[in-house]
Amino acid sequence: MQDPVVFRVERILRSPWLIFGAGAVLAGALALALWLLFPLYKGLLADPFWFPILVMAIMLNLILSSTAICILAERKIAGFTQDRFGPNRVGFWGLLQPLADGLKFLLKEDIIPTQVDKPLFLLAPAMALIISLSGFAVIPWAGEVRWPWAPDTLVSTQVASLDIGVLYVLAVASLGVYGVVLAGYASNNKYAFYGGVRAAAQMISYELPLGLGLLCLLLTSGSLRLEEVVRQQAQSGMWYVFLHPLPFLLILVSSFAEANRVPFDLAEAEQELVGGFHTEYSSMKFALFFLAEYAHMITGSAVLVALFCGGWAPLPFSSWLADSTAWWALLIKLGAYLAKVAVCIGLFMLVRWTIPRFRFDQLMRIAWLSLVPVGIALVAGTATLTVLGLQRTWWACLGLNLVALLGMLWTAARSGRTVTGRQDDLPDIHVEPA
Amino acid sequence: MPLLASLDTEGGTQLLQALGIFALAGFLMAFAVLLFGKFLRPRLPHPEKNRAYECGEEAVGTGWVQFDLRFYVVALVFLVFDVEIALFYPWAVVFGGGGAPGASSEVLKEIRWAALWDMLFFFGVIVVGFLYLWRFGYLDWVRAFSGRQQGSELGAQDSVIERQTKLEAAGTASE
Repeated sequence: MQDPVVFRVERILRSPWLIFGAGAVLAGALALALWLLFPLYKGLLADPFWFPILVMAIMLNLILSSTAICILAERKIAGFTQDRFGPNRVGFWGLLQPLADGLKFLLKEDIIPTQVDKPLFLLAPAMALIISLSGFAVIPWAGEVRWPWAPDTLVSTQVASLDIGVLYVLAVASLGVYGVVLAGYASNNKYAFYGGVRAAAQMISYELPLGLGLLCLLLTSGSLRLEEVVRQQAQSGMWYVFLHPLPFLLILVSSFAEANRVPFDLAEAEQELVGGFHTEYSSMKFALFFLAEYAHMITGSAVLVALFCGGWAPLPFSSWLADSTAWWALLIKLGAYLAKVAVCIGLFMLVRWTIPRFRFDQLMRIAWLSLVPVGIALVAGTATLTVLGLQRTWWACLGLNLVALLGMLWTAARSGRTVTGRQDDLPDIHVEPA
Repeated sequence: MPLLASLDTEGGTQLLQALGIFALAGFLMAFAVLLFGKFLRPRLPHPEKNRAYECGEEAVGTGWVQFDLRFYVVALVFLVFDVEIALFYPWAVVFGGGGAPGASSEVLKEIRWAALWDMLFFFGVIVVGFLYLWRFGYLDWVRAFSGRQQGSELGAQDSVIERQTKLEAAGTASE
């Protein structure tokens, strides 16, 4: 049945030797090139101006290629969750799938429907991508480093060390809504329009719990600089997730919603809105939206790790490597950071394939009637702890979180009303006779 | 590199630099793949293909339809709350960081409680607004569409379908 040539090519591609051999050759060539060209970029490594740009170039590449790997990982995790294989036809263990996807995106026809608002239609995917990449500017990848050949300069592995790092992250996260809403508006299609409007309502609603959770953290850290927050955690060994588990959960849930992923993917909801905001997008522009979504997810995880899980600190409850600036410590720190981000992304994916999509009224109720009140209570409680000087004492913080949790459960158990969103379960409104 | 070096200062310029470089990188990325693909991909326009997608049917009217009023309410409430939360950030940093540099600890202890009460009062005003919204159902996405009316035959205990049937029966009777 099958074309013998295609069959043969497929079989060659599926052999593990080809993939791993090619990988080894590429890695060897890269290492050789880096070693041969070392005199050329040696000056840049120790320069406090050019080094951040080098970091940016490396990290942009790493992130853009890891989005491709993320898509494969997502499908593999989906396969694992649903007890099936996942992609396994292209390359050994499906490892060439990202390449095949990219090729397909490049070769498909790019349809721009006649009814669209063309400038905005073209702008939207670019906007989504730019905004989701900008968040990476403030991530402190591996602290500071002192290179052996330039012992008098300390360079920071962060593109921009901003005074307002956390606010910048919040601002960029809020801007993320523009790509989706512009796409929904510009498409001039009812499905896309509803998707865009839904996305706007969802993203702005989940901004509030995000902001409130960050406030609890700021009251403890007293600094908006991400590298300072990470340094505090690394030196004390007390990661803030151990002090503030509930704010961590608030931010985690909000970042699911901000990244527009299941269970919060109301904006694209295939079963009701066809494809939501990207109904009219095809080919590479569609791919840019996907790239933006995965980049958004990676930014979200990186920020979450920096703020709550100790950033580059390799071990909890220990200050190992906290003050080390050697080049080998840099590698360990970067490895620890990327490993934590990978775990976080794995969590995002598992949640996506485990929890079904919320209904829109449930989505709004979760944001406004449960996350926001808890956030308000936590901010007030943390402020009181700060006045008493207890904001870094573990029993006080955990006690506050426990009280908030019990308060939530008590309120939920107390109200006898069934919450379903069906008309039957709603309280009657009293209408005065005319 | 005198021009670039002059950009390398602390604070605001660094923000602009970071934003500018990342925006440029993102833009180039998007532009490059779109341009590269333009030379490779087929281009076979067809009037059927270029129509708005509405499940294969002829699209009715424009896509820019009126949307639900509830989205406006969410946007308004968000605006108030987000401005409030943004106002909290400087307070949280100074308050959590132990006050201004150089302030003595006695002064700090004195103003600490005052700062807390001030902020909790401000917070309280907003929370009262939030409770008002909650109590009067502005935060409920699904609302009851029929109420108990005096002299109406619609019982509050009836299910939706029963209410609907009664309403329809009343409608046909009046005709």
